[in-house]
Amino acid sequence: MSLLGAFARLGLQRSGGVAGVAVARCLHTTPVLCAEPLKKKKKLDPQIVKQREDRKKKKIEKQIRRLEKNARQLKPVEELEVPLELIDEKDKRQRKLAPLSSAQLEERALLKKQWAHYKHDERVADFQIIDRLVQAQNKALAELRSESEELYQAAIDIDPQLLPVAVKGPVATPPIKDYVSPDGDYLHQSMKWEVK
Amino acid sequence: MLRRLVQVGARELSRAQSSTATAEKWDLYAGVLVERLPVVSKSLNPLEKQFQDLLWRVEYENSLKSDHELKHEREIVQAELIKQGKIQVDLEDGGSKQTAQDLKDAYVEELKKFQLGSRTTPDDQANKTTSTNRCLEDTLYLLVKQKLGQQEHLILPQGKREEGESMRQTAERVLRERCGQELQVLFYGNAPVGFHKYKYPSNQRTESVGAKVFFYRASLRSGQVPEKVTKFEWLPKEALNGKLTNAAYAESVNKFLL
Repeated sequence: MSLLGAFARLGLQRSGGVAGVAVARCLHTTPVLCAEPLKKKKKLDPQIVKQREDRKKKKIEKQIRRLEKNARQLKPVEELEVPLELIDEKDKRQRKLAPLSSAQLEERALLKKQWAHYKHDERVADFQIIDRLVQAQNKALAELRSESEELYQAAIDIDPQLLPVAVKGPVATPPIKDYVSPDGDYLHQSMKWEVK
Repeated sequence: MLRRLVQVGARELSRAQSSTATAEKWDLYAGVLVERLPVVSKSLNPLEKQFQDLLWRVEYENSLKSDHELKHEREIVQAELIKQGKIQVDLEDGGSKQTAQDLKDAYVEELKKFQLGSRTTPDDQANKTTSTNRCLEDTLYLLVKQKLGQQEHLILPQGKREEGESMRQTAERVLRERCGQELQVLFYGNAPVGFHKYKYPSNQRTESVGAKVFFYRASLRSGQVPEKVTKFEWLPKEALNGKLTNAAYAESVNKFLL
């Protein structure tokens, strides 16, 4: 509007009233389109904001606590739990055997000592065998090295074919020929455990 | 980098050493110790048996009575009461019921029917040394009849190394040549387990003075040496020592037998 006014004033100054009006008529200005008055920003109470954040935090903390509690709770192993009926009937189920005589106790103690000696000797013999084998191998490798370094390097190479190792038995009884294993019923007993 | 240099240096050093040592030349041989591992566990000796009995006894003493035993005891008491006429026999129920004793008898009967496999085989009785189906508790080792010089000897299969082979490759080839393709074995690694050297008789020394044999250990997986290829025997340790005629060779072999 001020522009129009300025032109009008110019026109008036230059060439009188009529011409000035015509100039003003030829000049168009458009109003600003699609504009909207700005919304007033909602002002939140800082206390409420803080409360909300606290609530969120608490909620998460609670969840974490619940998870931790569950983490400590292990899946029960049924085989390791003593059945209640065994605990209840313990007196009834205990064997009432005559206490061992001193001669029997003596005999058992002697046998245990003998066993300890036997196992000790066995262990020592095992170590001696291992020592002997290692010595034999070291000697072979040393001899091979003195013959040829390349052959020695090939010999101490790792053999990847050895892994994975599959070893089978010795077993208590040799396989019985034409043995038909008795058929049993298959009961699937293991329980399913789910995390609540 | 430094390590590399040291390695190279060491290699050259040892090469220099070996070149000085080759004043007398030795032939390189690979030998193979093929073992058939035990099939069944060792039977217990008297002390082991005694101790096992003790353990079982202690286990029994510490155990609690089972349901079956309790039932058996209850039934004995009941039978006693019936005999004395203190309670009436429940005909409908008692006739069809199986007592604990009945069950036990049935179980014992069933167990009696089962026969464990024999620990000795027909080949044991026939002392058929070419069979691997004998001496199930022991490790068996393969001996092969081989010509050394003019004479034939029963030794571990061995053969000369060819140019460009590693000792392990030689061992595998030797076993194939001496014992046929059917013998499936597993070699325990690339390193030899034992060593033996012997000199040739002085009139036969042409370019090399003797042989150095590097032994490899292998376990039998399956298969057997074909009878027509060579004479061979599978022997446990004691019998093996009886068959090795050369004392020095037997000593070298014994060093890496279990």
